[in-house]
Order: sequence, then structure tokens, then C-alpha cells
Amino acid sequence: MTNDDDDIGGSGYSLADLSDYLDRGRQPAIPAIDSNPECQAMLASLDRVAGLSRELVARDAAEAPPVDESWVGALLSSIGRELRAGRDIPFAASDPGTRLTITEGAVRELVRAAGDSVEGVLVGTCSIEGDVTEPGAEVTVALTISIVLSAPVTQLAQAVRDRVRTELLKHTELQVGAIDVTVADVHLWLAEEDR
Amino acid sequence: MGALEAASDGLLAARAADGDSVAFGVLVRRLAPALRAYAARLTGSSADADDAVQEALIAAWGALPGLDDPGKVRSWLFSIVSRKATDRIRARRPTVELDAERDEDTAAGPEQRAVASSRLDALAAVLDGLPDGQRQCWVLKEMGGFSYEEIAEQLGMSVTTVRGKLARARVSVVREMEAWR
Repeated sequence: MTNDDDDIGGSGYSLADLSDYLDRGRQPAIPAIDSNPECQAMLASLDRVAGLSRELVARDAAEAPPVDESWVGALLSSIGRELRAGRDIPFAASDPGTRLTITEGAVRELVRAAGDSVEGVLVGTCSIEGDVTEPGAEVTVALTISIVLSAPVTQLAQAVRDRVRTELLKHTELQVGAIDVTVADVHLWLAEEDR
Repeated sequence: MGALEAASDGLLAARAADGDSVAFGVLVRRLAPALRAYAARLTGSSADADDAVQEALIAAWGALPGLDDPGKVRSWLFSIVSRKATDRIRARRPTVELDAERDEDTAAGPEQRAVASSRLDALAAVLDGLPDGQRQCWVLKEMGGFSYEEIAEQLGMSVTTVRGKLARARVSVVREMEAWR
């Protein structure tokens, strides 16, 4: 490194010092740097090349070929061995020698599919609260949804509640109490060509 | 599926945390190109970048239920990829002495960069020409947004070494990008 980099514009500060200063958001202010034109020019350059670096990653990503589907498939099948099954939810067995259960993970799947089936709704998180392992115990279902602003929010939320209740009644023996729906997000329809 | 493409990163992460692997797949397709581009700049190898991203995504699936704010999934994934990529860099360390020597000279001359057709191509060439250690510090700092302490820990260097490498990288980058103002 040359002396130029150790003492920029006679300010007594090195390039490394200026870098630190920039990283700290130029706080607390150092007058010897702030009033020195060469330091100011160097800070502007550092800022500019940092911004360019982030642009470079964005460009590399945009120009990359689409992700290989077989790679995604391999990845998903390797995580598939680690699915989140959650608790076992029993069905009342007609034959005392058998035990039939459905996993909490499968019930969540059911809730998501029911919510997603409402036009303009996507389900986010979904939880089943209460003792699901105890047949007949009342449980509460809580879900967050993202909506397209196509219909009144209350109408969409009610439609989600109705579908979820119907599906749970059809496929489980859970005593479903409240179904709490929270609108957590808004999304846009995809453009036609993206579908 | 289909409709999930319109969902935010945060919604997809929340569903993935609940066990929805389809939502995770949508998130992976969306973010993998940026994660790979970042890892490739960091490791300087597209094969290492691919492996680091794949490992990071598998680890992320397992760790997603513990992610407090699914809305921050993007930066969270970048930090996991950083760690997996720097693990690989450390594993192939025998080149570290060579690297220390190379730190002293600036790599390819500026005339070679004059042919770059855009500022971004010029920057890519400057970064490719930096010694590995300097480039890694630069990428972690400027593209990954990590602090000196975090970079030091990830690369297994002292904070002083990181600060020095970063300062030298900055001198080279600022100088050679002067023409592209």
C-alpha cells in the first residue's frame, strides 16, 4: 500500500479508517473526514462500488439459466425424508384391536388446501391448538392468509372458515371450535403469461 | 400449484415451516439463482457454489420452524449459504500461503479490463483478479453485508487480517473502477 492510502488527502485517516467510518454510517461524525474533499471523494467511490457489487449479484442471478427441475426434484426428495408430521390425531376405532390416526401434518395440508381453494386466497401459517390426541376435545384452528383484493376481506375470511370447517368435518373427527383467520399479507394475481 | 408463484417469500417460508414442501420448492426456484450467483462470487467456483447452495437449502428446511420472522427468509438463506460456502473455502485451505504471497501484487493489469463492455463486467473482472482471501472478504462485506467480526469467524481469520484484506481489496476495486464512474 502506498502512503496515499494511509493518509488520505492529508486528513490523517487511512482508507481502512474511511471504510470503517462508512460501515458505521458516518457516525459519530469526524470533522477531519467530513470537511476533506479527497476523503469525501473516496467515501463516494467506496459507496458506489459497494452498490455495484450488489447489482452484480442481481445481474448474475437474472442472467443465470432457469433452475434445473431435476436438481429441485432431488433436493425436495432429500428433504422429504424429514417431513414435519407433528402429533398423531386418533380416529375412534370400530375394532378395538386397531388404531387409526392421521398426522397433524396431514391435517395442516388439508387446511391449506381448503383455504387455497377460495379464489384469491393463499394460506400462510396454520396451527391446530388444543389436545388433538384426546378424542372429542375441542380444538381451535388458527391460520394466516394472503389475499388478492378482489372481494371484501370479511367475505374471503368467512369463505375460508366455511371451507376449512367442511373439510375437517369430512376427513377428521376433530371437534372444531373457533377457526381464527388473520389476513397477514396481500398479493397480486399473476400476469396471465406467468400462469 | 401455480397460484403459489404469486405468494410472497414470507408466506412461502411460513408454509414451508409448517411442512409444505411444495411451497419450499417454489421458494427454492425463486431464490436459487441469486444464492448461486452470490456463492459463485464468494467461492470462485460454480461447482462449490452449487454444493454450498444445495447443502444450505437442506439445512434451511430443517431450521425453518425456528425462523422468527419468515419475512426475512431471503437474508436468512444468504447467511446460511455464506456459512456453507466458507466451510468449503476453509476445507480447501492449503492454498492459503500462496494467497498471502499473492496479496502483495495486484493481479491482472488494468489494460485487460479496458475491454469490458459495462461497469458490471469491469467489476466482475476486477473481483476475479483479486487474491482469493481479498475477494472473499469483499463479497462477504459488500454483497453479504456481514461485519468484520462475522467475516473473521466465517473465514477463520483474525479481525485485523480481515480489515487489512478488505482495505487492500477496496484500494484495487476503487482504483480500477475509476474509469467507470
